[in-house]
Amino acid sequence: MSRLLRVFPILVVLAGLALLLERPAYAYVDPGTGLLAVQAVGSALIAAGWYLRRKIASFLHFGSAPKSESEQGAPKKEVEG
Amino acid sequence: MSSKPNFSREYLAKTHPGRETAGTFRDPAGQLYLTPTHAVRRIHPGAAQDTLAFLTSPLRAALEQSGDLIESKKIGEERDEIWLEHPRVDPISYPWEWCAAQWLAAAEVTLRVADQALDAGWTLKDATPLNIVFRGTTPVLVDVLSFERSKPTASTWPAYGQFVRTFLLPLIAAKYLNWSLQATLLNRDGYEPRELYRSLRFWQRIHPDLVDVVTLAAFIQPRSGASQKLPSVSDPELAKHILHKRLARLGKQVRRAANTTRSTEWSEYQAQASHYSSADKEDKQRFVRRVLKQCGPGRVLDIGANTGTYSLLAAESGAEVVAIDSDAGAIENLWKTATQQGNSITALVANIARPTPPMGWKNREQLSLLDRLAGQFDMVLLLAVIHHLILREQIPLGHIGELCDLLTRRWVLVEWVPPSDAMYQEWLRGRENLYGQLSEDDLLLAFRPYFHPCDRRVLGNNRVLLLFERNHVVEERPRATMA
Repeated sequence: MSRLLRVFPILVVLAGLALLLERPAYAYVDPGTGLLAVQAVGSALIAAGWYLRRKIASFLHFGSAPKSESEQGAPKKEVEG
Repeated sequence: MSSKPNFSREYLAKTHPGRETAGTFRDPAGQLYLTPTHAVRRIHPGAAQDTLAFLTSPLRAALEQSGDLIESKKIGEERDEIWLEHPRVDPISYPWEWCAAQWLAAAEVTLRVADQALDAGWTLKDATPLNIVFRGTTPVLVDVLSFERSKPTASTWPAYGQFVRTFLLPLIAAKYLNWSLQATLLNRDGYEPRELYRSLRFWQRIHPDLVDVVTLAAFIQPRSGASQKLPSVSDPELAKHILHKRLARLGKQVRRAANTTRSTEWSEYQAQASHYSSADKEDKQRFVRRVLKQCGPGRVLDIGANTGTYSLLAAESGAEVVAIDSDAGAIENLWKTATQQGNSITALVANIARPTPPMGWKNREQLSLLDRLAGQFDMVLLLAVIHHLILREQIPLGHIGELCDLLTRRWVLVEWVPPSDAMYQEWLRGRENLYGQLSEDDLLLAFRPYFHPCDRRVLGNNRVLLLFERNHVVEERPRATMA
């Protein structure tokens, strides 16, 4: 019981985060459950790559004058390999 | 133009009987009515403001200018509804009448428009081949209601699932499973990933192009009663980056899926035909050129066009051409050649002996092939095809004459293939009593109620080219204009 009480707040926080990052699908076209999940997984992978590249870019520029947000900008649009 | 036009369904029924309900209606934002001269779109009050915003946006102007989007003109407002008019593309073609290269071209224009819309703060809410029509060889998006304002932080494309089901999976099924693209006639919303997963082999299921849209999507099952949620991210720049990448990957996947080099029964026919000497070919082409020059048809229908030798001649003479053939490989070759040469040819995979039926709700959403072709042409070409109709489809000559009467406003150019011909003999298959005695006179007799012969040329291989003219010329139907 005490273990359940310790895990419960974590589950609540995780569920809250999940809801925060989602919005209902209102389109009249069927988004397809499996394909929607595939898209979400793909988006997460692309986002991970985005953040990783930003980290690497900031690491490489360590010590140089800080750049503004707009100067750092998005990574160049590239074709997926 | 009146500021308060009466475009009620009753009005359309009165002015365009039989056509007032053909079109689409599934999108809650509006309905499309197809009249003989235009496509008329009724936008419901809830979607009117967004539609007007799109129509006045630079995105709409850019897409119309590039030819990717059909032209629109506001023709009226009534009780918070607005009415738009688009030029009618003739003939409308449906995805089940396209070859793989046309599917790819339609998919690419959809992705290109989605990509451009993304940068302009809009998104395509649906993405199906039914929103694309070929104007000659060029695919055009015809649904202006597909556009809605995008949420800056949305990291998913709402039409992704539909694009995969209706564009990508049919192409994958055609490439890996030999499922004909013409079979999509029976699947309005495409294929479900699980349908393909069940039929694919293990190595195909783990193919890098298929593993996400087929295998992973088939494995993820919905919880009963679970609501569908669209993920979003906090950074709009990241959201846009994700969507651009998503569209780029889809582009790669459709290009690879459409990349087939399989030859079909008739795709190599012109190169391999042994019953035609080069002198006979030249003689035939010379005669067809002369006929086209003399008659100057504005619109030509080439039935059994094969790879399009005579469709191209007709297009070069200045005619708008519709070329049909039941062999998808032959039409693919034809479409690619016409695209490269910039000729005005609408290529359709269709069998004139079993024409595409009307489809959809009450059979009124998509018109039959004959509904779209009837009375639309100044000349019909029936070159090296009549023996197919007689021997393979068992169509009596009188019915062929009647069909030509339905299709052409003036001329028919027929290539008569006599029973002594090698191809005729190949398909005669012991039915000499029925078909072995047919002659050119039987053709003339069958066509007499509708046509009279006005030119004739016998080729070295004993095939006969006959130009017929209607006994009574019929009036041209008015064409779509955008004043």
